[in-house]
Amino acid sequence: MTPEELSKIATIEQEEQQQHKHVIQVCVAAGCLSSHSDQVKDALDKEVSKRGLENTCHVKGVGCLGLCAAGPLVRVQPTAKPDAAVMYQAVTANDAADIVSSLEGPPVKRLVCPTNVPFFTRQKKIVLENSGIIDPDRIEEYIAVNGYAGLLQVVSTMRPSEVIDEVMRSGLRGRGGAGFSTGLKWSTVAKGRGSTKYVICNADEGDPGAFMDRSVLESDPHRVLEGMAIAAYAVGASQGYIYVRAEYPLAVKRLKAAIRQAERAGLLGNNIFGITFNFSIDIRLGAGAFVCGEETALIASIEGKRGTPRPRPPYPAESGLWGCPTLINNVETFANVPPIIRNGSAWFAGIGTEKSKGTKVFALAGRVTNTGLIEVPMGIPLREIVYDIGGGIPDGKKLKAVQTGGPSGGCIPEQHLDMPVDYESLAKVGSIMGSGGMIIMDDTSCMVDVAKFFMEFCRSESCGKCVPCRVGTAQMHDLLCRITDGSGTADDLTLLIELCDVLRATSLCGLGQTAPNPVLTTLQFFKHEYDAHIQKKTCPAGSCTIHAPAEVI
Amino acid sequence: MAWPAEDRRATAVPKDGEPPLLTDEMKKELTEKYFPRYPTRRAVLLPALHMLQHHHGWIPMRALAEVGEFLGISPAEVLDTASFYEEYWLKPKGKYLIQVCRSLACEIYGSKRVTEQIKKKLNVECGETTRDGKFTLVELECLGSCGTAPAMLINDVLFEDLTPQKINQVLDGLPEDAHKFRDPTVDWQ
Repeated sequence: MTPEELSKIATIEQEEQQQHKHVIQVCVAAGCLSSHSDQVKDALDKEVSKRGLENTCHVKGVGCLGLCAAGPLVRVQPTAKPDAAVMYQAVTANDAADIVSSLEGPPVKRLVCPTNVPFFTRQKKIVLENSGIIDPDRIEEYIAVNGYAGLLQVVSTMRPSEVIDEVMRSGLRGRGGAGFSTGLKWSTVAKGRGSTKYVICNADEGDPGAFMDRSVLESDPHRVLEGMAIAAYAVGASQGYIYVRAEYPLAVKRLKAAIRQAERAGLLGNNIFGITFNFSIDIRLGAGAFVCGEETALIASIEGKRGTPRPRPPYPAESGLWGCPTLINNVETFANVPPIIRNGSAWFAGIGTEKSKGTKVFALAGRVTNTGLIEVPMGIPLREIVYDIGGGIPDGKKLKAVQTGGPSGGCIPEQHLDMPVDYESLAKVGSIMGSGGMIIMDDTSCMVDVAKFFMEFCRSESCGKCVPCRVGTAQMHDLLCRITDGSGTADDLTLLIELCDVLRATSLCGLGQTAPNPVLTTLQFFKHEYDAHIQKKTCPAGSCTIHAPAEVI
Repeated sequence: MAWPAEDRRATAVPKDGEPPLLTDEMKKELTEKYFPRYPTRRAVLLPALHMLQHHHGWIPMRALAEVGEFLGISPAEVLDTASFYEEYWLKPKGKYLIQVCRSLACEIYGSKRVTEQIKKKLNVECGETTRDGKFTLVELECLGSCGTAPAMLINDVLFEDLTPQKINQVLDGLPEDAHKFRDPTVDWQ
């Protein structure tokens, strides 16, 4: 692949797209696919060819359009006026004829999904800029929207150290949860000893309630490959691995196809863009162990061992896969890299807050009207996410808490809803940014039960290597079970708090260290619910089954 | 997940003369496709186990020993790794593996009712296989389908927005031959 060839592919693809008067985009990400968007696409295809419109109207499958709750989603876009696109929701195969008929006239009213609402207007898309626009199975479409231009720019005009400086200046921080400076990590790996280095993309998304990585991989896989290739150039690696959950069959399929296409196009492999830069990527399937999202456990798993963490330091950046310097970044982190290179670090640093730059993708789930995938600038108030973008709580219920960060995060109550969403503010209330799962809970959710849920998760996912986590999570889970079934005592609560400290201070890896967070935050903000279970033997939310007889007060 | 304390005294001892479970084709694929990508043979263990499970539906003890021999690691080490990961089945499972998401978002939307209904319909508990060997039911962690909860996987096909009617419909509609049900678009490693 030469630079000229790349721009030729882009031009041909763009011209081809211009030939069509209309493009009908059908969401074929997992959410819509499971409500049979593939049948919708087939029906639209048939309808278009029945009317002989193949040359003026192009039907294509695209990645996630965001509003998963209203799927299957279809978007009709006139090529000349992209802004005049119409979105349709809950489309079935039977609607195909009406949609095709409406191309030259007014839209099909009964199906229209309004897009001038906050769910769409309040978002800021960087990572998801191509989601729902391009066909994830075609590399040409990615190239047509400036895809791989970042990689070209990097290998032809920049030295590796300049790339790292650029990422450093952008202020990008790891999107996997901890928020470590990406530039700093890259520079550590670049300085690492030895000629063999590795780049790993952590796609072992395991937090309950999180599906951002799945969606990025399904909707825009090439973006992640490009990000990894840029990173490989910057740190001097020639082999990359994507560690992806086996439970995401569609993401795996799209990734495999994307890697094949990129290899065929010469964008991965040897002598990329004609210079002596070699980089290949392989997929590693996970095997159902949450702890493998922890970087040292992930490395052990790739090496073919039990996925158990080891003490750090040395950090993988110094000594990782087979003892070589290894860069591990999350899917979303890599997905942020190409636009940073293309648009410059100043552009990226201009978005977000002082310490948290750029945007963050969140998966909205639970008791909220608009469940789905959103991308918002850092620092946006939590209230705006829940009420404007999320559309508030359905069924006239009241918001009780927002859970962020999965089993390592915490529950944020109503009174903190006006805080900005960034790494520091979330940490201040005892939660974390996490990978981006956001579960909204209304007053029918019992907070002790939620804490119990996450503790059960940690208990079953603990790898068993270190005692505090293996035994501590089991003990804490037992105590929470006693409290929720009404047999808990005040001493149990004391012991629970004591165990929180022990796990935090002495566990080997993040799983155990952060396992107490859901308990601590619910204790901090919803202590009265614990007290009600223990003293009055009642569950205020009415969701726990109390076995002990209620005491007469 | 980890540290199972199972009594393996009753495990069948590998018999000589039976055709190998790690077939020559698998060995060829591992040698040609996987060995060049990794500096050690051991790194190929997980892909090899995925391959065996895909082929046999589960991984018998004899297969673990064969993999060990092929990759130059002891059978005990293979068992150590294989038993760590939930994904690998070291005992037979049904033709259809039903995995219901038990994550918080699904729980809020009634995943417990989903599990209960399947249990009742198939007359099994979680982790069990029906007598006819057709279904195995398990619960697992987040499937990443929280926007359309509750969700379940049957083999590798995802079902979302589950309701009691939908579950009946799906389970009754499964073909007798599970291979016919496999999603043809997914190419497993």
